[in-house]
Amino acid sequence: MTQPIALLDGPFWPYLALILFAVLPTEIWRWLAVGLARGLDTDSPLLEWVRMVATALLAGIVAKLIVSPPGVLAAAPLFVRVAAIGAAAAVMALTRRRMMLAVLTGEAVLVGGVFLFAKF
Amino acid sequence: MSVSADWSWPRVALAGARDALMLPAWIVGFGLIGIGSLAHDVGYPVGVAVLSTILVWAGPSQVLFFASIAAGAAWSAIAIAVGFASLRFLPMTMAIMPLLRRPGQSVWQQLLLSHYVAVTAWTEGLRRLPGIPPHQRVVYFLGFANACMVVSSIGTFSGYYLLGALPTPFAAGLLCLTPIFFLVSLTAGLRHLADVVAVALGLALAPLCERFIGGGFDLIVSGLIAGSIAFLIGRRRKAAA
Repeated sequence: MTQPIALLDGPFWPYLALILFAVLPTEIWRWLAVGLARGLDTDSPLLEWVRMVATALLAGIVAKLIVSPPGVLAAAPLFVRVAAIGAAAAVMALTRRRMMLAVLTGEAVLVGGVFLFAKF
Repeated sequence: MSVSADWSWPRVALAGARDALMLPAWIVGFGLIGIGSLAHDVGYPVGVAVLSTILVWAGPSQVLFFASIAAGAAWSAIAIAVGFASLRFLPMTMAIMPLLRRPGQSVWQQLLLSHYVAVTAWTEGLRRLPGIPPHQRVVYFLGFANACMVVSSIGTFSGYYLLGALPTPFAAGLLCLTPIFFLVSLTAGLRHLADVVAVALGLALAPLCERFIGGGFDLIVSGLIAGSIAFLIGRRRKAAA
């Protein structure tokens, strides 16, 4: 467990930590983008590139959460986590993108997989 | 649902909220239940958990923040890790702002709008906003995003008290909602071959870069490489067509 910074410790420390170490490092990119997006046209090639990088970054987050899972998700073996993502993607590809069905299928594979293959 | 150009603003806002409540808001809400449990695990008050949903508004950043505290990481390392994981908001926000911009709009309104940029509002916004009359987009977007935020705050709040009592398979299932939903939203927005390449390469390169680069730079490097390749493929096809 990370201990509070002694100088700033007190009943409000968790709130202060949230603002300083989670809110600011996240929000700064959104604010910066507002400035950078000024004058950018909706169909400029630069924006197309930016959109592709954003898409790839989001996909990267998915891969990272599956490969190094947070908290109790680590109880699911790697192949179960990969199978869950694969099942959701397969449903999207085969059913003309029925999102709800895809999410439920992925979840069913994961929860079922943990029941079958994990020791807990 | 489609929005008509002569609708009053409350009706447009409600249409946005209704579109969110059709599905996306519930998935984000369920996805952020896990945040409540992570905050509970490190002994932080429930208010911090709910505020993290409202103020950070980015599942992976929130996961990183609480999971890093649990792991005992240094504060500076936590801030840097969250900063790198949130770098995606720079290109994401840049891509959606031109759709929401209006003549005479104040910087403050743009900053407020940018706060709502997260995976759901982004993927759904890029898909839906072009079909909405430009002068109604801001209201629609705010209706949509605020509905997601309210449901998610309730989700985080309940997760704080509930998740510890849940059997492991279901608790794991809730934590897996974030990656599953991210992938499903991304695939819902696929239009061209280039989009498919961006998603597929992004998935494949991130674990590879994590292995060989590390230091927090891995995600941005894999995103830049995968995104640039996808962009070049898209240009090629456009030029050929």
